[in-house]
Amino acid sequence: MVGMSVLRSAASLAARLSPLKSGNNVANLLTRTIPRTDKVAVRWGHGKKMFLIQPTAFYDQRFLRLLRYYALLTGIPVAIIVTTVNIFVGEAELVETPEDYEPEYWEYYKHPITRWITRTFYDSPVKDYEKMMAAIQIEKEKADMRLTQLEVRRQMRTKGDGPWFHVETLNKELIDNSPKSSPDH
Amino acid sequence: MPSDHEKDAYPQPPRQTPVVDKQTALPNPAVILSKLFYYSVDVPVTTFRDAVDSIRSKNRPVFYHQKFRRVPDLTECEHGDYLCYYEAEMQWRRDYKVDQEILKVVQERMRACQQREGPSYQQNCAPEIKQFNEVTHSYGSRYGDLGAYASGRKCLMKQKERMMAAQAQSV
Repeated sequence: MVGMSVLRSAASLAARLSPLKSGNNVANLLTRTIPRTDKVAVRWGHGKKMFLIQPTAFYDQRFLRLLRYYALLTGIPVAIIVTTVNIFVGEAELVETPEDYEPEYWEYYKHPITRWITRTFYDSPVKDYEKMMAAIQIEKEKADMRLTQLEVRRQMRTKGDGPWFHVETLNKELIDNSPKSSPDH
Repeated sequence: MPSDHEKDAYPQPPRQTPVVDKQTALPNPAVILSKLFYYSVDVPVTTFRDAVDSIRSKNRPVFYHQKFRRVPDLTECEHGDYLCYYEAEMQWRRDYKVDQEILKVVQERMRACQQREGPSYQQNCAPEIKQFNEVTHSYGSRYGDLGAYASGRKCLMKQKERMMAAQAQSV
């Protein structure tokens, strides 16, 4: 009963707000149905279906378009470069090292792009080896010096005849010897 | 394009295809199919390969095989000589890689033999199988459970354990 009065007051409000709209009478407001948008009243006779309703494919297609674009932006130049290198400058072939010839460090690799990378960006493995050996030598010398320093400390502290561990004594001229100069004073 | 493998490494037995002794006038479909395959696939591929090779042979780089000098082993290093330790460790790592490649070559031989012989591989490839088993056993006993942080020292300790076990067993 209360619901009926609420509905009637809603209907009168809707009618007051837009009285000329056809669905805002009391009878129409309470009993009108919600218009369905997918079942549009398209009246086709016997022709081709011209209005195909489907969800938007814009965002998916845009994503795929951009994916292809950015992948091929660097993909195609790289593919062209690798193909030309493989066709025009082929892989190296293995030969015996000739006498009195020291090959460069990048001449030990087969593919020309690998050779270029090692030649341009990397140091020779001999240089890396020597750098590692230099680091080991420095650390070894540091460790040896620390051990000898500890040994020297120990010796000088126990024997006391070295330049370390001197204790500053008083100035002898400040000692007042007058109480000792006359016995039994 | 890589060259074909060495034919002497995995030798094939001599072919035993019989001589063709055709006694009918009907065409042989196997011959027709093989000719079809030859003209549609083999000839274009071979001409392409020859063309590419003729372009590549003008400026062809070469590469060499690097040989490393032998340095004193871990057993011949003084105590505390860290440089000697480093050089021995690097040499041990190179030898480890070489042993892995040896194992791969022996395994490849056995697989090629098995593929060639078909169902009767166990009696026809017995030398290859035996060699593979021996190499695998020795590789396992030398480098077996050393793990990812394997080093020359750990391998040496493993060898010591093996020698101790052998001595305990022989006594």
